Amino acid sequence: MNKSWWKILSFVLLLYTVICGFLLDVPRLPILNETIRNLYFHVCMWFAMMILFIVSFVYSIKYLRGFDYRNDIFAHNFASVGCIMGILGYATGIIWVSVTWVTDQGQSLGSVLKEPKLIGAAIALLIYGAYFVLRGSFTDIDKRARISAVYNIFAFAMLFPSIWIIPRLVGSLHPGAPGSDSGNPALDKNDMDAGMRAVFYPAVIGWTLLGAWIATLRIRIELLRDKKLLHG
Amino acid sequence: MYQRIIALLKKDILLELRQQHTFYGILLYIASTVYVLHLSMPDNPDADVWNSLFWVIQLFVCVNTVAKSFLQESRGRMLYFYTIASPVEFIIAKLLFNLLLMLLMSIVSLVLFYILLNNPVNDGFKFIGIVLLGGISLSLVFSVMSAIAAKAQHNAALIAILGFPVILPQLLLLMRLSKSAFQEVFREGAILQLAGLIGLLDLLVIVMAVILFPYLWKE
Amino acid sequence: MGKNIVTRISFWFSRLALLPALLLICNTVTAQEKVEMADTMRSNGKIYIVVAVCVTILVGLFIYVMSIDRKIKKMEKEKTDF
Repeated sequence: MNKSWWKILSFVLLLYTVICGFLLDVPRLPILNETIRNLYFHVCMWFAMMILFIVSFVYSIKYLRGFDYRNDIFAHNFASVGCIMGILGYATGIIWVSVTWVTDQGQSLGSVLKEPKLIGAAIALLIYGAYFVLRGSFTDIDKRARISAVYNIFAFAMLFPSIWIIPRLVGSLHPGAPGSDSGNPALDKNDMDAGMRAVFYPAVIGWTLLGAWIATLRIRIELLRDKKLLHG
Repeated sequence: MYQRIIALLKKDILLELRQQHTFYGILLYIASTVYVLHLSMPDNPDADVWNSLFWVIQLFVCVNTVAKSFLQESRGRMLYFYTIASPVEFIIAKLLFNLLLMLLMSIVSLVLFYILLNNPVNDGFKFIGIVLLGGISLSLVFSVMSAIAAKAQHNAALIAILGFPVILPQLLLLMRLSKSAFQEVFREGAILQLAGLIGLLDLLVIVMAVILFPYLWKE
Repeated sequence: MGKNIVTRISFWFSRLALLPALLLICNTVTAQEKVEMADTMRSNGKIYIVVAVCVTILVGLFIYVMSIDRKIKKMEKEKTDF
């Protein structure tokens, strides 16, 4: 049981998130009202996605350094769980946006989709979609692992500067953007008080650990299957 | 090393001159695409619409121009290059060749746009500069994508799927930057800043290509 | 057979992971009915019911993931015997 401490930690942190996230006081903001509590769930999906993608990126580098097939299994499973988190982030974002920006602010859905953070997220998801398409087009295992690792590293290296650049290019409705005007209904860094921070950061860690747990389960199943192939 | 790069570059150019049908094929592709646009668009398109159309066409021209650079190399010829040159020399020669080809195509499509679709550009020289910069960025990214896709059973459609998410930020930057050649007035220094960002991203692509290509090359 | 298990498990994960999102819908809807914050809901203690529901689902989810973990562990032990 001593090796699974982080699984228990994930459980405890998420329990804490749900209980404190609903019960503690939050800043009272117009338009957002109680939906500000979505921060503990929706935003955490994006954080978890990015962290899982970074882990996948690191394993791709490790694969190219030693050509250990296990590292390739790690890389693509972390990427796929990251994609699931990203899709959940999109789904929850649509729900949230429909009661804040679209109805209360009169934004059209088209203008919402041009949000810099949404563009960044869309690029990330498209990159990993392409990554899986690329993987699917190979039959040779070693070649697949090598070429997809190259693409993963290249695309991820391009993704990071673009996430940094795009918000400075397009005006944003999202929190904390320098170009956003004062009618911004989403929260700013200043709107998040110490109480919210105390729930938000543990929530990020909790969701990320849950994602990592699911990824390790998938990895272990795949390793088992490969062993079955090797030993008959 | 430089000599070998130049030799490889010369070989690509010579091949292009010999097999003229592919070259004319791309020219025809550009001409027919712009002509279709000319027929389907209203007579005086907005500057904004003109701008976005231009860049989208550039994107597709680039996919078609650069796509064949690695796909056309047969397995035997690749093995031959493998014996005479290092992967870094090979990729640099390829990047240079695609860059030159794409610059040429950019100019061609720009001229065609001017002829067939009006000319809303205020500052012509600046716009040509931006178009050339865009040609460089597009050709670099799609050369790498072509190298990757060539390994995946020569699947040409894969290049577009792999490349679009990666090129998107640069394309947005270019569209933003090219507005400076139209009516829009920019803040002091903003144009240089945008151009510098695009240049830095190009540099990143080159560095990544040089680091990663040896892994693609191994067989 | 092996692939079947993987697809089935991943399918259930996607199902289970959607639950918090569904809960969020309920939460946002109740919050929007009031013009201001949902203070009455807080004062008469009904918020605890929402928390109880969420916690139950979370606990269920974790027990399920844990059982899969156990199953895989058992399979791994069997494999090492060879």
